[in-house]
Amino acid sequence: MQNARYLLFVLLVLPPFAAPSRAGETPETLLIRQALANDISGYRRADAELTLKAYHPHFVAYQGHANGDPRAWTVLHENRDAFASQLAADLSAHRYEVTRSVPFIAVRASHAIATSVDSGRVVDRQTSQATSVVVHRFWTLLKEEDDWLATGMVAGLGDTLLPAAGAAPNGEIAELLQRESQAWESGSGILGFFDADFTGYDALGTFKPATYKIAFSGSEELEKWLDKRLPYVQYDLDRKVLHTAVGPAGDEALAVTREKVAVEHLKGPAKHHKERYVFWTLSRRTGSWKITNMVLDVGLAD
Amino acid sequence: MIAKRLTCLILLGLSACSTTEEQVVELLEQMAANPVDSPAYQQSINALAAIGRPAARQLIARLNPDLYLGENYREFRDEQEKLRIGCARALGYIKPRGATAALKDRISAAYTDRERIACLWAMGQVGYVQAGVDAAKAQLADADPIIRIHAAIALLKMDDERGTGEIEAALTGSDPELAQTALQGLAEASYFGVPLLVELNSRAGPHQSELRSVISKVKDQLIAQLAAEEPVHRQRAAQALGYIGDDTAATALADLLADPSNQVRFSTAAALATMGRSQGIDFLFAALRDTDSILRANAVKFLTRVQQQSGAVEGQLIAALNAEDPLARAGAAQVLGQAHVQSAASALLAATNDEIAAVRANAAIALGQIGDLQSRAQLEKLRRDSDSTVSYYAEWALGQLGSG
Repeated sequence: MQNARYLLFVLLVLPPFAAPSRAGETPETLLIRQALANDISGYRRADAELTLKAYHPHFVAYQGHANGDPRAWTVLHENRDAFASQLAADLSAHRYEVTRSVPFIAVRASHAIATSVDSGRVVDRQTSQATSVVVHRFWTLLKEEDDWLATGMVAGLGDTLLPAAGAAPNGEIAELLQRESQAWESGSGILGFFDADFTGYDALGTFKPATYKIAFSGSEELEKWLDKRLPYVQYDLDRKVLHTAVGPAGDEALAVTREKVAVEHLKGPAKHHKERYVFWTLSRRTGSWKITNMVLDVGLAD
Repeated sequence: MIAKRLTCLILLGLSACSTTEEQVVELLEQMAANPVDSPAYQQSINALAAIGRPAARQLIARLNPDLYLGENYREFRDEQEKLRIGCARALGYIKPRGATAALKDRISAAYTDRERIACLWAMGQVGYVQAGVDAAKAQLADADPIIRIHAAIALLKMDDERGTGEIEAALTGSDPELAQTALQGLAEASYFGVPLLVELNSRAGPHQSELRSVISKVKDQLIAQLAAEEPVHRQRAAQALGYIGDDTAATALADLLADPSNQVRFSTAAALATMGRSQGIDFLFAALRDTDSILRANAVKFLTRVQQQSGAVEGQLIAALNAEDPLARAGAAQVLGQAHVQSAASALLAATNDEIAAVRANAAIALGQIGDLQSRAQLEKLRRDSDSTVSYYAEWALGQLGSG
């Protein structure tokens, strides 16, 4: 609600020349910029409350380890409370003299993604020692009522593919993802693997989030697609789980799979197929593991 | 014929149990499920074309890559390509003008060659839309000659000649694929391609027999188009048949001399006159004597075109300078001037002594247009003509001849 008021203020009060001109800007992207601006303002002003306003209760943070390859990523904070504890510690130890740019935002219905670049310096409050920082982040956001809230964030996002060893797959996660692939082949029970607020993406063969397209905004949209798709095609999936990482409390996880996917059409002989990497995030905050994000066709080197 | 019947049967089957939107969805799934150019793929295109404009909105939407998200998601690029090609081809048959805006955005190098070619073809089929012309023109600079030839043909079908050099190059070059594409494009371009076809056929080249065959095919299409509902199609078809000059079209053309549209009648008469047919020549000369100034203006315009194109009416025009009817004499002088008929100079000089001022004035104008230096003395004399209009145009004509 507060964000809606802010937007109204921006639209009605500020003269046109005061607004930065951005091609393709919409009311939603303005609201997302405002949410991400509140986050960084909170850091600058050591105002944890202001920062936390931008975060969803189900917020999960991942550590990118400066690598574009998610096979190197791990789970950093499993919920907003865990993040809040770290934030309080960070704000009491450091002063943040940092500005943020948001070069990319994509919105589909109530789901959005964005990238940000924070640059400036972080000053140790005790020693006054300053450290220059440039931090790239990838955000996932969900709109609830009039507010856009961060549901996920990859800190230390890399803009190149560095070596990634990949962790030995967690048995529970690997088994779930195999069952999910079997559901595609049987053409039933697919939806049960997905969280209601799930987001699906098509990475179009690249690894940079700024090129992702949001394909599914929630499981409802996925369901509509399945209803249209499955009567006409038969899926064949051969999936290998390459990497999983589970958070400290065991409630949040991520995974990378490599798979051969093919569809046979029922109305003709054409068969479409490809090999792809898929990046997954999963949560069991509702009791059982559910897929919260699925990035299809991530462009990773073999 | 069999394909058409099958298409009708499919449509009947589909329409028995579903809405148009559902029929389109079923046909799109058939398209996705079959290889491009397979009989079943083509059948889906034909069936969509048979549905026509009610299907256009869904087909246009499927050209857009952003559609393939959400409930319309397709994870395979080649599946999207197949749909985009098929939808473009179906739109090319349906020809909704609104499709060009979406088609023109799919002809850049961001799309596959097959998608670009299908969209260029469909743009040509839809016909002239300025944004389409601009977009196709930009593709004439593409590095790939296949894209350039398809862009050139699309432009030709949109009544724009900027790609004719590309078509000529294809037909004089050594690449059989380019030549075949050019020939096929000319065959599909109906009356838009006829002047170029006739021009290319008049020269020596490696594809003369194919060009003759295309001309024969186009001629048959044009004869059929003489019965088109839209007057502009009848008019352009008649004009093009005049360019081709094939006597076998004369009977069909003669029937159009009684067409309700002025432009169709005159275009038909001009076509017949170009072929040397008396029906056409007589029609135009009769119009030249008509008391209706609009008919006379048309007669002058079309006789000028006939004379420039074929020289078929030169003798009659010169003779008409001595006709009994002063309207015929004045009109003939106008045509001879506008068509720059040098051989008419002495007859026009004589006409400057005509008892009717309008004839003298038009003869003076014609001499100025022809640039006949021998007429200077007579034009000087006409500057003092009792009729102010005659003296005015004598002055103008002298200005055309220059000071020498």
